[in-house]
Amino acid sequence: MKRLSIYCAAAAFFAHVLSAAIAPNVTRTTVAGIDLLAYPTGVKDVVTLRASFPAGKALSPATNPALAALTAAMLDKGTTTRDKFAIAQALESVGANIRFSAGSQLLTVSAKCLKKDVPLVIALIAEQLRAPAFAPAEFAKVQKQFAGNLQRALDDTDFRASDSFTRAVYPVGHPNRQTEPKELLSSAQATTVEEVRAFHAKYFGPAQFTFVAVGDLDVPQLQTEITRAFTGWTGGQKLPTAARSTSTDSPREQTVFMPEKTSVTVLIGQTTGLLYRDADSLPLAVGTAVLGGGFTGRLMATVRDQAGLTYSTEAFVSKNTLVDGDFEIYASFAPELLEKGLAAVRRELNAWSKDGVTATELEQRKGNLIGEFKLSLATTEGLADTLLATVQRGRPLASLDDFADRVNALTPAIVNGAIKQYLAPEKMVLIKAGTVPGAK
Amino acid sequence: MHRFALAFLAVATAFPSLRAADQLAAAPVKAEGFTYVRTLGAISEYTLDANGLSVLLMPAHAAPELTFMVTYRVGSRNEVTGTTGATHLLEHLMFKGTAKHNRTTGKGFDQVLAPLGAINNATTWLDRTNYYVNAASDQLPVVVELLADTMRNLLLLETDRQPEMTVVRNEFERGENDPVQALDVEINAAAFIAHPYHHSTIGWRSDIEKVSIAKLREFYDTFYWPDNATVSVIGDFQTAAALALIAKFYGPIPRAPKPIPQVYTEEPAQTFPRRVGVKRAGELGVVGLAYKICPASSPDFPALSVLGDILADGKNARLYRALTDRSLTTSVSANTGFNRDNSLLTFYASLAPGAKHDEVERRLLEEITRLRKDGVTATEVQTAVAKSLAATAFRRDGSFAIASSLNECIAATNWTLYYTLDEALKKVTPADVLRVAEKYLDYDQSTTGWFVPLAASPAAK
Repeated sequence: MKRLSIYCAAAAFFAHVLSAAIAPNVTRTTVAGIDLLAYPTGVKDVVTLRASFPAGKALSPATNPALAALTAAMLDKGTTTRDKFAIAQALESVGANIRFSAGSQLLTVSAKCLKKDVPLVIALIAEQLRAPAFAPAEFAKVQKQFAGNLQRALDDTDFRASDSFTRAVYPVGHPNRQTEPKELLSSAQATTVEEVRAFHAKYFGPAQFTFVAVGDLDVPQLQTEITRAFTGWTGGQKLPTAARSTSTDSPREQTVFMPEKTSVTVLIGQTTGLLYRDADSLPLAVGTAVLGGGFTGRLMATVRDQAGLTYSTEAFVSKNTLVDGDFEIYASFAPELLEKGLAAVRRELNAWSKDGVTATELEQRKGNLIGEFKLSLATTEGLADTLLATVQRGRPLASLDDFADRVNALTPAIVNGAIKQYLAPEKMVLIKAGTVPGAK
Repeated sequence: MHRFALAFLAVATAFPSLRAADQLAAAPVKAEGFTYVRTLGAISEYTLDANGLSVLLMPAHAAPELTFMVTYRVGSRNEVTGTTGATHLLEHLMFKGTAKHNRTTGKGFDQVLAPLGAINNATTWLDRTNYYVNAASDQLPVVVELLADTMRNLLLLETDRQPEMTVVRNEFERGENDPVQALDVEINAAAFIAHPYHHSTIGWRSDIEKVSIAKLREFYDTFYWPDNATVSVIGDFQTAAALALIAKFYGPIPRAPKPIPQVYTEEPAQTFPRRVGVKRAGELGVVGLAYKICPASSPDFPALSVLGDILADGKNARLYRALTDRSLTTSVSANTGFNRDNSLLTFYASLAPGAKHDEVERRLLEEITRLRKDGVTATEVQTAVAKSLAATAFRRDGSFAIASSLNECIAATNWTLYYTLDEALKKVTPADVLRVAEKYLDYDQSTTGWFVPLAASPAAK
């Protein structure tokens, strides 16, 4: 495999840019209290649905950090009118799927189905959100699944590095800071089904609910089905405003030792203090893409292509959709090449930070980012994700249509100014996860 | 590579195809230098007369983008001891370029494509190697020229092999980090003792490190010829114009000077169950169970795919009910190998905390025994078929998704599987499923593997 298996998060940042007019083709209405966006495309039969509302992990009480994730995991385990097997059969018999997942602040619903099954799928989404059974027997199983999945993740160097990184750079209380796995495990074991019911009662509702449908759509029918499925649903919460990050007193260098691993995952980074919608986010992301976006980024060109030290290294800005996010460099190295690899990454980081990007690099990167974005919109999933993220970011849909212009308006001075203003390599945190030589 | 490869396998087993009625094939054109072969569904096949290059064209104008892909009929099945992983390493070296297109000239693959916003990549798997570019429609000429240039003009320098070897070695090391991948390598190596599916596509570490540039050159000169390749164009293009471009850039390349070597090794019959294991630091155990099955082109394959779904796909799957719903596993899966030669149907059961390997294995086998004894219901078959047909529609969502599926069908010897498998799937009956269960889920032809974690890491304690 020539290319990266972990897709560049910087690319994800730009997967929200358009050059063709999108906003005029979105039908946006408020239906049953829900912010509904519909975007018909030329694809035949396929419909992708996305929805989100504030019920993510950061809304769990500090004393019970697993609560939101456990609640989300219970949604497909049966409703007050049918058990999980009946729901699964209803979906599987038409090849449709619905997934619920708790992110840092939002609970996201992802579904895909054929055009003819849109009414069924919307009804099932509503049923599972509005009337979950929360059966104690199912909850006991979910607790065990949760523990098993988390424990299995602890075997993954990438997970361990990114998990530790959040606690190293984000202060206590910041939504992007993840709970210690040990604490999460004990919280999951101590949680009661009554607490899950209370969390559901408090946070589930249309107060800040966005629903996106893309594909082979009959928009009036979609609106009718949403009305039918969600009318009478009340409650929910608006997302609270989070304070921007302050610095942490965590050690600047941390090792997560994992025995018998043949590759070490490395993360270097810091918080930026920037949300996606902040004006300086765009130039910082473009500059970051010059450093570590794909195969033409400096990191891959030097650390991989020239030196052969890694299969994958990249730089990206992330976690800035709803709150201020971070800048990260990712790399993997064989234990015996770790120090050499780290030195090579730091050399590129320091040169980039000190001297910035060149005019030629910037021009090439603009074409790359704008072009890749167009390609990302060639699928219903790409479009649905883009529309939902735009709403989540508090950006107008029209902002999608002038993105290319905004990228093209960037100059080296603007980009390099953002790099210097928001990043300081000497203050960045280094996380190493794996069989790090000399560590235990 | 391995991670990607598994993903591709999963895609392939779900029957890649389009529904013919939903996409209209462009009428065949008379193009100078090409022989029109046939049209099936929305795909038309041509052969470039000059050198035997196969060309598949699937116009779709929903979005101004396209995927251009070259599939070489060479994969890790064409390797032998000492050169395992060579196909994959050669795939990496492809991007080091040619005399005309390399980083030094400023016209390297990425240097040309990235500023255009085009996405390019390559993958290697057991039966094939593919290179593809997703690009805006108007960039087709640039893309065809670039990929055609790599067919016979690679530099293949030792100075490029050295750093790329360590890149690939780190790819190998990343795969080894995952106990399930390590177990999968062991299971395949035990299940196949003669056939080259014995070794994984990324190869053995020592071969990755030591294969010479001369050997790689030999590999390239043996397999990278137009009459061992298929070019596919999917998306927004005009047929006549695309054919003209292909003729212009691929036409001057000669046929292979010697016949492409064929793999003739057949796996001898397995008469006794085999057992392997991986024991090392880790968190939770895994049980794998693999059975020998037929090639993807076999008439038995659709029923085997339905069988795998009935056992392991979704909450109503039998193994979900028997294992995951009883808190013995965190997940179960079935992978029905979509390959050119006899392959494996592999079940994986990821143990939940506290679960024992032997109990999970026993229950897994009990479910298989029950299915072989009592068969399956019509509802189970109908549900599995419905899921596959819907997945078919979902894979019409963008040119790259189509290309990914088509690629596996080309590798499995016949691109028309892209359509014919769906039709065959619709005809599968409970009796068919029972028949293939009895035929293939024979314990004597199984390989069982355990991942046994030695101790939890400190954070998990």
